[in-house]
Amino acid sequence: MTIWIIEEKCDGCRRCIKACPYEGIKIKDGIASVTERCTSCGACIEACKKQNAIESDIEPRKIPDFSDRQGVWVFADQTDGKLARVCLELLGKAQDLAKDMGHKVSAVLLGKDVSHLIQTLHDHGAQNVYLVEDDLLKNFRTIAYTNVIEDLVLTYKPNILLMGATALGRDLAPRVSRRVGTGLTADCTQLAIDPDEKLMFQTRPAFGGNVMATIACKYASPQMATVRPGVMEAAPCKPENPTLIRHKISLKEQDIRTKILERVTQKKPGTDIIDANVIVAGGRGVNGEQGFAMLKELADILGGELACTRLIIEQGILPHDAQVGQTGKTIRPEIYIACGISGAVQHTAGMTGSRYIIAINNDPLAPIFKLANWGIVGDVHEIVPEFIKQLSCGGAS
Amino acid sequence: MNIIVLVKQVPNTTNIKLDPKTGNLIREGLESIMNPDDLHALEAAVKIKDKTGGKVMAVSMGPPQAVDVLTQAMGMGADKAFLLSDRAFSGADTWATSYTLSKGIEKIKDYDLIICGHQAIDGDTAQIGPQVADWLDIAQATYVNDIESVDENEIVVKRRLEHGFERLACKMPVLLTVISELNEPRYPHMEQLISACEQKAPIKVWNAADIGVKTIEVGLEGSNTHVIKTFTPNFKRQNELLEGSNKEVVSDLIDRLKKSDTTIAYRL
Amino acid sequence: MTQPNKSRSGKIRSNAEDMVRFTMANFVDKEIIPVATEYDNKGEFPQHLFKKLGKMGVFGIRYPKKAGGSGGNTTLYCIAMQELARGLLSLAATTAMQCLMATNGLYLYGTKKMHEEFLYPALKGDKMGAFQLTEPNAGSDLSAVRTKAEKTRDGYVINGMKTWSTSGPKADFHTVLCQTDPSIGLRGLAFFLVPASTPGFSYSKPFDLLGTRTSAISEIYFKDCHVPVEYRLGKEGRGLGVLLKILSEIRIMTASLALGLHRAAMDDAIRYCKEREQFGKPISKYQLIQAKIANMAVNLEAGQLMVDKVTHMIDQGKECLNLASMAKYFTVESTCSACDEAMRIFGGYAYSMEYSVQRYYRDNRFLLSGGGTHEVLQTTIAREILSR
Repeated sequence: MTIWIIEEKCDGCRRCIKACPYEGIKIKDGIASVTERCTSCGACIEACKKQNAIESDIEPRKIPDFSDRQGVWVFADQTDGKLARVCLELLGKAQDLAKDMGHKVSAVLLGKDVSHLIQTLHDHGAQNVYLVEDDLLKNFRTIAYTNVIEDLVLTYKPNILLMGATALGRDLAPRVSRRVGTGLTADCTQLAIDPDEKLMFQTRPAFGGNVMATIACKYASPQMATVRPGVMEAAPCKPENPTLIRHKISLKEQDIRTKILERVTQKKPGTDIIDANVIVAGGRGVNGEQGFAMLKELADILGGELACTRLIIEQGILPHDAQVGQTGKTIRPEIYIACGISGAVQHTAGMTGSRYIIAINNDPLAPIFKLANWGIVGDVHEIVPEFIKQLSCGGAS
Repeated sequence: MNIIVLVKQVPNTTNIKLDPKTGNLIREGLESIMNPDDLHALEAAVKIKDKTGGKVMAVSMGPPQAVDVLTQAMGMGADKAFLLSDRAFSGADTWATSYTLSKGIEKIKDYDLIICGHQAIDGDTAQIGPQVADWLDIAQATYVNDIESVDENEIVVKRRLEHGFERLACKMPVLLTVISELNEPRYPHMEQLISACEQKAPIKVWNAADIGVKTIEVGLEGSNTHVIKTFTPNFKRQNELLEGSNKEVVSDLIDRLKKSDTTIAYRL
Repeated sequence: MTQPNKSRSGKIRSNAEDMVRFTMANFVDKEIIPVATEYDNKGEFPQHLFKKLGKMGVFGIRYPKKAGGSGGNTTLYCIAMQELARGLLSLAATTAMQCLMATNGLYLYGTKKMHEEFLYPALKGDKMGAFQLTEPNAGSDLSAVRTKAEKTRDGYVINGMKTWSTSGPKADFHTVLCQTDPSIGLRGLAFFLVPASTPGFSYSKPFDLLGTRTSAISEIYFKDCHVPVEYRLGKEGRGLGVLLKILSEIRIMTASLALGLHRAAMDDAIRYCKEREQFGKPISKYQLIQAKIANMAVNLEAGQLMVDKVTHMIDQGKECLNLASMAKYFTVESTCSACDEAMRIFGGYAYSMEYSVQRYYRDNRFLLSGGGTHEVLQTTIAREILSR
């Protein structure tokens, strides 16, 4: 299976290059040329309809008929009878998807003595709740849950199955997808229904978030995706005729092959600033150890780490591995909060790759504001305590 | 105990560069490395081998140049290596990749334990481990950050979860996916590394026919998911100065963070 | 990592040179560079990194496997040294000595028992070796060596001193050039293994140094140091021959250290000139900065070609001492100028101990004298050419 260019027909319009997801085609001497990255996906052929300069010997793959697959399912991720917030967020998104497809939203709830959660699921948009209760489902174990979901999917044939990208979801979803013979897109940030083919377009970051890819699962069903917590919004709603479907399945302990010996709640140890999602950094404008104790409090609330400029290391306030900049570390957190940092290149060389930069400084002309998404001109020792206050009483759920 | 370690060659995304004009990823000159989590998988495997004896076998799917990560694996102490390489494997999604790997593993046959990195830095999907475990119909433990004990019947591991950890006993054979907390990977030993580059080194290359798969079952053709398009998100900074009283600017900032596409947004 | 070798049988193999370079580069980037300037400023030798290099089998890289080595060759050895020198020259120089001068005589002439006691532990990094030539009046002129080894009934008694002894206070054993018969000059030289535990062995306080400040360099003294006869490495009078065997390798190793330092200075300069802005644009946009970068790059590439040529010739057993001298002379001179240019690109910041570029500038002086002074090298290069 190969793709080739009919050189006489190619006018070098570059449409094929835009269409290719793999950089499998490039312009050489004014006309298109196939590179070794080509995976023969055929996207370029589609893009070259005008010139018809690209041909291939690939037989178009047949798309199976999935019209009997109905419903948008959300897996209700619960531990010790408490729902993970992400499944309510997914129910919110599922309502949009179901509307665009003309399907219904369902939730899948597995566990032991979890019927108190049914109402919450209905209240967040699940018209149907599939409930499977069994002693062996009390605690999550991969094979047990996979076997049950496989049975549900084969019995009720959903069109879409969404799971939260929690530790549990990321353990379970791939195994389920393999078992029921379908594809899976992990950690989606956007889900939408394509109006033409009614396919779910699943968009996710790749290469550390530097590139976004939109993915579809045409040839298998159900269409499965996992979504990170916090990306979608929950939308309380009261569906008409909420229905509970109790499903029975016989599970055997010896098939499950794992045994939970213990579960322990424990705070995560501090992470290296290179791996932290949130960084609160301080510089010359932060008032000594006291000031950094305040920044530490903010970092803890945000689940982040402390960092600083070189001066702070020299004053012995923070250890050497917290230094960001030319002679320190280069970091790319999601959120970088620069407190009392003027923004000299010696420091900023190590943090310009951050996703969001927030600057707090009392000098409105400080160069850091030119790098920041959002800047606050003011005294760090007033703004940060206010920040801490609002975050703590605003109430994390 | 015979241990299979799955390794992947990935572009080094820590020093990734974007074209300043188009915003596209510059792939030219991107250095290839062994996926970081896989280093921890190898370290775990070699440590177990040192205790129990047996063999460590590294398996990778990729183009011919992916042999370098297998050489590195042997430098770290793997005894044998297998490269699954065929034009037909290219463009595979996780379904087709896990199928190909599991067929390679079935051909190796003699194993008690499979260890792989939790996720690869170029895709971050964390799907291959569980999918391979399901193809092979064996138990799995993901997010492993400690291996407490191992014998031919059972392995006891710790799994890192959001709010703590879980201790799990698994019946062998089992597939583990490990995270970086587990250990500190050793550097390759020069003697093992140099030997692995010699012609007589035990590195095997298997194509589709060797592992008994049809070309329509693997690669892009065997995949269930397909990339429709790729694009570069617009990360342009607004350089906005927030104005108002301290109370107002802070609440404005928190609002913006809540609406942002960050993973902490929902916690605020 | 680059294109692997593909043999006719369809087997695919990695290229050993690429793999060694990649492995060492990774070690340098992760373990050495983050702490190098800190260690240098403190003047403390990073012993734990030296141990790690031993664990990785780096010290045995040019010895065959059956001698406890890693089965590499001079080319792989020099590649490893290039990468190490990119991180911290003093650590690289100590490593280079451990791989070559400090152990080669022991490897060639030592008994099985000596190998077990000194060579194998040295190749694993459990013992440190050193190589002692220079005396207050003998450097380039080895006929002036005064450290005396007198034959006794069951061995030798050594008396004298050495100076500029790298690792003098730290090494577990020394390979020492001695005079067995002062009346016949160069023909009386021989090398001896002197363990630091030998009664009568002592050392001075380490010197306060301009560069390579993590190295411990001192004087060492031998007062009636008794060593058994098998500790004589090679025959009496063959000292110079033993040295000549590895002289090309010493020179090309020194050139390799220069290449590594050159690359470090260039990498830092490139990164800095792209980040530093003046008059509204990065200074890399100015032509005078570009000229400096161009010169650095051209000299580095030329030096790399010379070094690669010589290391391959050594591995093929070809005579190449004069080429090795040329490579040493050229690479070290161009490294000195690259470090100087890098200082200028950094402007005032180069003057701060916070940045590594000041260390490169000081460290490059070490290479001028080590492995043959350029005044001597230029003479021997010319003499050889003129005598053709």
